Amino acid sequence: MPILVKYKVEAMSLLIKGGKIAAEEGPLVPGDVLIVDGVIAAVGEDLDVPPEAQVIEAEGKIVAPAMFDAHVHFREPGQEYKEDIAHGTEAAINGGVTGVVMMPNTSPAIDSPAVVRSILERAREVSRIPVYTSGCITKNRVGGELSGIDGMRQLGVVMLTDDGDPVANPAVLKNAMEYATPFGMFFASHCEVAELSGPRALNEGKISYQLGIKGSPACSEEICMDRDIRLAHAAGAHIHIQHVSSAIGMETIRWWKKMGAEVTAEVSPHHLIFNEEDIGDYDTHYKMNPPLRRAEDNAALLEGLKEGVFDLIATDHAPHSTFEKEQDFVSAPNGITGLETALVSLYDRFVASGQIGWDLIVKRYSAEPRRMMGLEVVPVEESKPADLIVFDPAGETTFSREFMRSKSINTPFLDQTLQGRVELVVRGSEILLQR
Amino acid sequence: MARKDFLDIASLSREEVDLLLDQATPFKELFTRSVKKVPALKGKSVLMLFYEPSTRTLSSFEVAAKRLSADVIDLDVPHSSVAKGETVKDTVDTLQAMRADYIVVRHKMSGLPQAIARQTRASVINAGDGAHAHPTQALLDAFTLREVFPDLSGRKVLIAGDILHSRVARSTSSLLLKLGVEVGFLGPGSLIPRSGPEGIRKFTDFDEALRWNPDTVYLLRVQMERQDAQYFPGVQEYHRVYGVTRERLDLIQGEGIYIMHPGPVNRGVELCHEVMDYERSLINQQVENGIAARMAVLYSLKPQTDLEDADPGKI
Amino acid sequence: MPLILDEAAIGEAVASLVGEIRAVALRGRIAIVGVRSRGDEVAERVSAALTEQEIDHDYGVLDISLYRDDLSHLAENPKLQSSDIPFQMDGAHIVLVDDVLFTGRTIRAALDALTDYGRPARIQLAVLVDRGHREIPIQPDFSGVSLETARMDHVIVQLKKTDGGDAVELVSKQ
Repeated sequence: MPILVKYKVEAMSLLIKGGKIAAEEGPLVPGDVLIVDGVIAAVGEDLDVPPEAQVIEAEGKIVAPAMFDAHVHFREPGQEYKEDIAHGTEAAINGGVTGVVMMPNTSPAIDSPAVVRSILERAREVSRIPVYTSGCITKNRVGGELSGIDGMRQLGVVMLTDDGDPVANPAVLKNAMEYATPFGMFFASHCEVAELSGPRALNEGKISYQLGIKGSPACSEEICMDRDIRLAHAAGAHIHIQHVSSAIGMETIRWWKKMGAEVTAEVSPHHLIFNEEDIGDYDTHYKMNPPLRRAEDNAALLEGLKEGVFDLIATDHAPHSTFEKEQDFVSAPNGITGLETALVSLYDRFVASGQIGWDLIVKRYSAEPRRMMGLEVVPVEESKPADLIVFDPAGETTFSREFMRSKSINTPFLDQTLQGRVELVVRGSEILLQR
Repeated sequence: MARKDFLDIASLSREEVDLLLDQATPFKELFTRSVKKVPALKGKSVLMLFYEPSTRTLSSFEVAAKRLSADVIDLDVPHSSVAKGETVKDTVDTLQAMRADYIVVRHKMSGLPQAIARQTRASVINAGDGAHAHPTQALLDAFTLREVFPDLSGRKVLIAGDILHSRVARSTSSLLLKLGVEVGFLGPGSLIPRSGPEGIRKFTDFDEALRWNPDTVYLLRVQMERQDAQYFPGVQEYHRVYGVTRERLDLIQGEGIYIMHPGPVNRGVELCHEVMDYERSLINQQVENGIAARMAVLYSLKPQTDLEDADPGKI
Repeated sequence: MPLILDEAAIGEAVASLVGEIRAVALRGRIAIVGVRSRGDEVAERVSAALTEQEIDHDYGVLDISLYRDDLSHLAENPKLQSSDIPFQMDGAHIVLVDDVLFTGRTIRAALDALTDYGRPARIQLAVLVDRGHREIPIQPDFSGVSLETARMDHVIVQLKKTDGGDAVELVSKQ
């Protein structure tokens, strides 16, 4: 269990000295950051050190807005042996993330005001960061009756999704869109055509042939994506496409944006970093849905991210226990954890090598997901609430079992050492993490 | 150091393949003696873990193990699937109680033998997993072909049928490629993989495939039970377009082409019944060679069950 | 490495074996069976000498890998080769030939292997070198040379076809 000590900044003020500040636009800017009473009081070079201030040396380090993950599975209620809100939020902090949106495929599913209320209450008890939840489109996510949409809205739910599965019947989805859009809600889609996806284990192609498992072709995802955007466009709804995994999927979104559809989309770190070749000899740490596709898709998705086709990065943090992941490849559940590894792995693979800059990370993994959820963004600017991280690009992170705060360790990065380290996480007047 | 498990063809080196094929010959020679049994595996136990019904492969392995003097335990497992909720770990725990030195596994899930092998000190032999691999079948196929063609390199083998769902096609083609054989796939477009594997000619027309001049046509069993959607209009049409009909048999006979099949055959689907009497059919030889090939595999493996200070069955 | 027997001495040892086996062969048809490896090469020489003297006999080769009692202790099983017993075992008079007789375990295995081919009338044992230190009650009927060795010594027999030259060497292990 994480220890829930709420560290108050001892002195009422905190000075982060000598770092470089990242923002969603523009290059890194050198500057000290002074936080007083949870608010950024001053930003600038060579700020005077107030006598009572706690000083944190940040020479050579990055000071950035804290991240926000719009796609996490916290498994509570129902599967607390995999993850729960207490551990999930601590995992988030461990990765430099200070806000999350839970997916509703819990047990029971998050399809009624009662479940939403219990989750939000639980989060208030155990979490040091804000927890938001999405709600189901249909009851128990089975694609039939609509869920308790208005009741959930009154508790603050804005995102509706049956994540884990698509709404198979297009008429049901269209009706839901036409019903809930006037309430200011939007829709998120996990895209696939069940009949095309086989056992939903891996991409259809060279590797599925080699391993002798029926693959799920990229077109299964692309058809459903296109269908859902078309429906949203017709219904006047905002649709958010989750975890896009293929080049053509990315192009589909680009095309619809050009057509003026109200569509946003996310890409996950694992779809940028890994591909089907990594599965090797049935390594279930590379099994997720949508599946890892080809190396060409990795490259296309990264281009899509750079060119703004993807509005946000989200991890699809999907904890599973070791005994579940140790099953044969088809029986093992889909998904890997991501909250603790996302920022460091993106830094290690893409920022360190100069392929993308901090501005992109801040825009796509901090600012845009907050905007999509209707929240204030948290730039490192004077008079804004403090919600930031200090990241050491020269440091390293080893993703050992001991490092991990999540209840599960199902990540391909397990026991690997990557470049970059989250050193400090501050939210308001609390230091949530200091290494 | 000898290998512990025999799980697929991909991980075998050319040297290992040659050794196994060479050793199958002395094992086959034993079958002409009055006593067909040798004491090499005396005191060892071989556990048969067949989650999928199979008479041929199961009895072939049983005969192979018994001719090596091993004790054979046939575990009665539900044939449809692993009991719900049972994980590989549970299965392995059960197996440990049996103290088997060798575990012969067949399962409809691709990759299950690999998962078991990682969690036990016993030698695991893959007797067929899903559509993934059937490495002992590949070995007996290559051995049978080598009896006909002592030098296999440059020979052409056409594998015909439901390639997509066939572990035999995967393993046998992969082994033949290692031995320098040219491999072709023939089948309905819906049953031929569109991507991968490399280095294999793909045909959807039987006559065109025969013009490629194969030395051997290897027919696969059409597996109706593995089809989750309809891949071709029906067995009669399949027979007409992709089966060895009487007319095609004449053509095959004229060219002196050999015919192989992993069995059991579907008469009137992938072949007409006359094929069974064809003088260049190697189907019966395959069955006999299966025992010798499996003896060679059992003899080549080294279970780690005898390791001192070992928690039995665990790594 | 101290050389115990050179090519000439090995020739004499084989000739002495041939002399003894010839006496037996003149009384009734025998089958010379060599044990792989190197026993088969000694047997081949014996057989060639008998043929030269126009003594009709059968000839066979035996691989005893599958009959060894130490398979579980080996990191890798010995490479199995074909045995070739092209005559009727039932009622045959076998002269089993090996290069070195040491613990007797190889011959124990060979006897088991032979009798799986049928029920011979008689089996006799001929060895090129008897170096002592038996662990089971097996004795040769004919031996070319007897060597006094220590238990831990290695007796290395090299033969032309298998090793490129004839020599018997002894490596002492202190």
